[in-house]
Amino acid sequence: MGMKGRVPAVFAGVALVAAIAVAAAFGAHRADPGISGSTITIGGTFPLTGPASLYKTIPAAENAYFDYVNAHGGVNGRKIDFKILDDAYDPSKTVPLTQQLVEQNKVFAVYGSLGTAPNLAIWNYLNQRKVPHVLLATGDSYWGFSAKKYPWTIGFQPDYPGETKIYGRYIVQNMPNAKIGVLYQNDAYGKNYFAGLRVGLGAKKSQIVSQQAFDLSAGNVTQQMLALKASGADTFVILATPTPAIQAMVTAAKIGWNPANVFLNNVSAVSTFLKLAAANGAKVDGIISTGAYVDASIPEESNLAGVKLGKQILSQYASSLDPNNSLTFYGLANAWTMVYALKNAGKTPTRAGLMRALKNLDPKKAKNPFLAPGVSLKTGKKDNFPLEQVQLIRWGGGATGNWNPFGKVYGGVR
Amino acid sequence: MKFAAAGFAAAVVVLLGFLLDGYHQGLAVYVAIYFIAILGLDIVTGYTGQISIGHGGFMAIGGYTTAMLSHYEHWNLLLTLPASLAVTFLVGVLVGIPALRLSGVYLALVTFGFAVSIPQLPLKFSKLLGGSNGLHTAHSVTHLWLYVVSWSCAGVALLLAWLLLRGRTGRAFRAVRDSEVAAASSGVALPIYKTLAFGVSGALAGVAGSLLVLATNGFAQPSEFGVLLSLQILIGAAVAGLGSLWGVILGALFVGLLPSVSASFPVIGSAHGQDVVFGLAVIVIMLVLPNGVAGLLRRFEPSFKTAIKRDPNTS
Repeated sequence: MGMKGRVPAVFAGVALVAAIAVAAAFGAHRADPGISGSTITIGGTFPLTGPASLYKTIPAAENAYFDYVNAHGGVNGRKIDFKILDDAYDPSKTVPLTQQLVEQNKVFAVYGSLGTAPNLAIWNYLNQRKVPHVLLATGDSYWGFSAKKYPWTIGFQPDYPGETKIYGRYIVQNMPNAKIGVLYQNDAYGKNYFAGLRVGLGAKKSQIVSQQAFDLSAGNVTQQMLALKASGADTFVILATPTPAIQAMVTAAKIGWNPANVFLNNVSAVSTFLKLAAANGAKVDGIISTGAYVDASIPEESNLAGVKLGKQILSQYASSLDPNNSLTFYGLANAWTMVYALKNAGKTPTRAGLMRALKNLDPKKAKNPFLAPGVSLKTGKKDNFPLEQVQLIRWGGGATGNWNPFGKVYGGVR
Repeated sequence: MKFAAAGFAAAVVVLLGFLLDGYHQGLAVYVAIYFIAILGLDIVTGYTGQISIGHGGFMAIGGYTTAMLSHYEHWNLLLTLPASLAVTFLVGVLVGIPALRLSGVYLALVTFGFAVSIPQLPLKFSKLLGGSNGLHTAHSVTHLWLYVVSWSCAGVALLLAWLLLRGRTGRAFRAVRDSEVAAASSGVALPIYKTLAFGVSGALAGVAGSLLVLATNGFAQPSEFGVLLSLQILIGAAVAGLGSLWGVILGALFVGLLPSVSASFPVIGSAHGQDVVFGLAVIVIMLVLPNGVAGLLRRFEPSFKTAIKRDPNTS
């Protein structure tokens, strides 16, 4: 190689050294992925299409809250960029989409992803890569109980077995002679719920006169409902996802079974669903469930600051969403928690800082306006369950009705 | 000519391994998985003429074999691949037995039933197979590991398929496809070759299923192996053009990359938008290119060759 070759070679060498030096200089202060001077990029997967697409309201409400925060100064000056991807509630789609969020879009955190099976599918992956996997929209208890093994994951809502424990305790206190019939989904979701109910009933669990499991793939619950009617049960506990839960309420009316008390798990107790059931002939008045968030459809709550703020945000940033659909306030409450944690994750937020903030939620400071009165956020050293309180609610007013809170706020839901 | 093309393809795959970042390696892994599965389908449907729309079922069995061996027995993940190959070969032979008496649309229905029923088993035996919450492998692997392993498997599968199809067995397969009566009267043992074709085909799909589970972070779940998966493989084979080994790579590229490529388009980027695109692709291909892309190439081949031959004379 002569002189001609040497000049470019020397130049290339100098350029390489310079590039390394510059990279090293920046590297020392490099922020976590997803954080720039002006934005924080987060993302999650949700069923925007498919059988669970009723839940698409949740990411839409969350995005509305982030828009509101962005319009009011953002998170310490940074705007939140929320990427919503559609996995149609299919875990085999959740995995590549989450890989896309982490590796392609370089999100700071995977936020709010919906569904138990979809989240189980990405649980290992995100924890191995130390990517925050936070405020999941699923109430299974794995997330809170496995925090040691999976330190980058944290849930949000009150967990399922905890909720049914409360129904069990309520039955023991208020209807000690109940003959109980249970309809539950034949999967981990339904079985977890059922296990909680038995714990809550304690010795009274012998009063379960009929327990009927159904497979989600079966398409209807008619057989199970006929068996429940034949058992002579007067207290009916529904532990199902929305579609079969609505079918159960409608079928009960069709076959002429009128149990005196009906309990409906919180996931299916969305006001829209009860109105739909009532419109199809179901008797919905008197059904008991639980709530943890403010509810714009409850007249007594219409003056709460959270309801007013929520309605204002929805009308301004997501006018197509119905504030009376309780999923909207679920989304607002969840997004509020994310913004609060981001604000406390360091001046330039870090992934470790975000997890620290979410695992140290102080109820005196983290006053989430979208939570029902008496319900608050709290986590700590051995407590990875952000929400552990619920309010009992009872439906009144049929197809145009709403939930009404009653009794005290129950704690220790897990 | 064929060896040069194969060498070139291998070089491209190796080179891409160095060039692609982790995320795109992950996408390339899906292409390899579909390549193996479509190749499997091509052997039984394209070369032997036995219609199967149940290859998702074989993939499910392969995938769960890997998940169970890793979850319960802590096997090395690489060793689970030959295990799932063996298991799905046997299942393939069993599924091939109805093919001895059934043909055409009736056989298609049997294989369809197979594809629908297999993913229900984990729900029925949820204690062992994890139910709807799925089953995790004990370890998971990196994108690079997957890239190397899946494309190595694809290469080996292609080589095996080529060796199998070029000789006596391949001739027997094609004879069965073209006329069962003629094949039988020429001394081709129909039961052996039909079940063998199903066995080999199922075994390849099974390995693809194992790789699919590894690609989804070692998570086997019933809805991963729904009917749609069987249909996607069939669509891939249709795009490829049945009975062509080289068309398979195009079918695999189409099925493997469409979901992520279309994700950036507004309407078809949604999960169901992709299904619509797949459906449209099938209709268009069946109308315009009944023999797939390979058929299209074949159509131009004769004139292309004569053009080259004539070339010296005209110049």
